[in-house]
Amino acid sequence: MGKAIKEYIKIAIRNVRTRRLRSWLTMLGVVIGIFLIMSLLSLSEGLKGAVMQQLRMMGKDIIMIMPGEITDIVSMMVGGLELTDDDIKAIKKAEGVDVVIPMTYKGIAMRCQGEKRTVLLCGIPLEESLDMLKTDMGFTLVEGRWPVPGKREIFVGYLVPEEIFSGMKTGTQITLKGKKFEVVGVLKSVGSKQDDSQVYVDLDIYREITGEREGANMAMAKVEPGYSTEEVVENIKESLDESRKRKRGEDLPSYTVISSEKMTDIVGNVMGLIQVAIFGFASIAIVVGGIGIMNTMYTSVHERTREIGIMKAVGAKNKTIILIFLIESGIFGLVGGLGGIILGLGLAKIVEIYCQAQNLFLLKASITPQLIIFGVFFSFLVGCLSGFFPARKAAKLKPVDALRYE
Amino acid sequence: MGKKPLIKLEDVWKVYQLDSLKLPVLRGISLEINPGAFVTMMGPSGSGKSTLLHIIGCLDVPTKGRVFLEGQDIMELSEDDLAQIRGQRIGFVFQQFNLLHNLTAVENVMLPMIFQGVAENKRVEKAKKLLASMNLEERIFHRPSELSGGEQQRVAIARAQANDPEIIVADEPTGNLDSTTGEMIMEILIDLHKKEKKTIVVVTHDPNIAGYSEEIINIKDGQIITNHKTAEKVLWEKQ
Ligand SMILES: Nc1ncnc2c1ncn2[C@@H]1O[C@H](COP(=O)(O)OP(=O)(O)OP(=O)(O)O)[C@@H](O)[C@H]1O
Ligand SMILES: [Mg+2]
Repeated sequence: MGKAIKEYIKIAIRNVRTRRLRSWLTMLGVVIGIFLIMSLLSLSEGLKGAVMQQLRMMGKDIIMIMPGEITDIVSMMVGGLELTDDDIKAIKKAEGVDVVIPMTYKGIAMRCQGEKRTVLLCGIPLEESLDMLKTDMGFTLVEGRWPVPGKREIFVGYLVPEEIFSGMKTGTQITLKGKKFEVVGVLKSVGSKQDDSQVYVDLDIYREITGEREGANMAMAKVEPGYSTEEVVENIKESLDESRKRKRGEDLPSYTVISSEKMTDIVGNVMGLIQVAIFGFASIAIVVGGIGIMNTMYTSVHERTREIGIMKAVGAKNKTIILIFLIESGIFGLVGGLGGIILGLGLAKIVEIYCQAQNLFLLKASITPQLIIFGVFFSFLVGCLSGFFPARKAAKLKPVDALRYE
Repeated sequence: MGKKPLIKLEDVWKVYQLDSLKLPVLRGISLEINPGAFVTMMGPSGSGKSTLLHIIGCLDVPTKGRVFLEGQDIMELSEDDLAQIRGQRIGFVFQQFNLLHNLTAVENVMLPMIFQGVAENKRVEKAKKLLASMNLEERIFHRPSELSGGEQQRVAIARAQANDPEIIVADEPTGNLDSTTGEMIMEILIDLHKKEKKTIVVVTHDPNIAGYSEEIINIKDGQIITNHKTAEKVLWEKQ
């Protein structure tokens, strides 16, 4: 049997090649389906990787506190909701909290060397939180130094001198709300366009510029050594609940307390779901490709009825006939699949290169051996499954009837 | 006599069901074919010769009755068992040659050996030898469309011998050929009988071959009307 397989493959290849145009068209159907699956899986996997990497740059002992329910992502992002200074204090008071950094940000006009652009200004309490930013958030300077608290100094994200104010470097003077500041440091890229485009100042200065007295858009807390992160999450929730009840008599907790690990999990799950959905839609294209193979195979069985009769007359068993036809449809799947893999991963790579050139987002096409092997097996499987019923029909033909067939 | 028959049919019926109509094509055929026999079947068109030959060649099974191959009841065998028997013990030659169009002559001859799992080098060697014995060594890489009718039929005869079967069944092998070519094909079959000691069953309208034959079966309307063994043939001819 094993030796014969090689011959059956040869016979199948010859049949595929005999009807060249039809074979190409059949394979094209598979190419399209596999192309879709491969490019989408590769890009979504890459996107997932990029997002997860960014999240993982955060230390494991970091807890995020955001106003609003996590399910209500829109209002969380758009803002409007804020944490008050009381909330921040409550977080600080919670057992096991080491440091709390309130994070505030606001779009603001910035003037530099005669140009005026709107940037996202981010206020952080430098004195307390610089260590944490460095160790837990992956903040590193590529140029200059950190600002001295109290001085009129700012540092900027990687893309600010790169794209927003070209020509800006350390020592450049800029103007915010009529006040002069000096750029003293440029951050290394953290991987997201938004973060890399921000301008950072000390919280006191931020408040001075914006006129905001208190509050923060969100806060991050570092867990004190010796405490478990999840335990501290609960402590913070309790502390916030208590403080809010006491102060305002509210009982609905309209904030989210979540550890960086949980956050990573949630984002990972969401991305996974998106991938499943993508796969589902792309599978429709593959089904169409499979139907194409089935159609071609039925036609082929019909046309080759007499040939099947001859093969049976000279000793081909039913399973041999099934095998020959399955190999043939498998070839359609496999060759179409290889084409789809090459084109799909090619597209993913082009998108990656485009994104990098445009500095849109650190999106890497994920091209792994697993993905390629999966693509190969999947397309071969689609071919074999689509060929199964036609092959069985061929095998069931009675030799005498097949031989009589004109 | 005393020899055990190679093929034995007992009251074989073949009935085709056409809509509500039952069409009996073979009606109670019984016969025995001894090893090494040369049997000719004759009869008018539509009398059921091909149908009978297919049953003898294990290509088809009867609706009723029993068929024995060396004592083995073929009705008890599976489709794959029958395929195995056809592949190993029976060689077919058809009126329409029935070669595979997208295979070359040598590949056509190798096909039955592929199904028996014969190793490639042995296969090629055997196929070339068989084609050479048919005087086709110049034609081994030709496709059927590039061969004359007589050449195609010789390729088919080479293919029928691929796995050294004991039995060769031929259904009007000269039916699509002119008389000279037909004679040559018949010579080849007679040679196979004489030199290779093959058991040969052939359907033909050719009186010459009938003359060579040891046994002539005359069929009409699905029944054997006369069955002349060699010994009886002499008597019959004298009459
Ligand atoms: N699959 C089938 N269904 C119905 N009738 C069939 C079928 N196969 C054969 N027949 C009928 O059986 C009869 C005998 O056919 P067969 O081919 O055995 O005749 P034959 O003696 O070989 O004739 P010829 O000399 O023309 O080849 C014919 O009437 C034919 O129409
Ligand atoms: Mg006939």
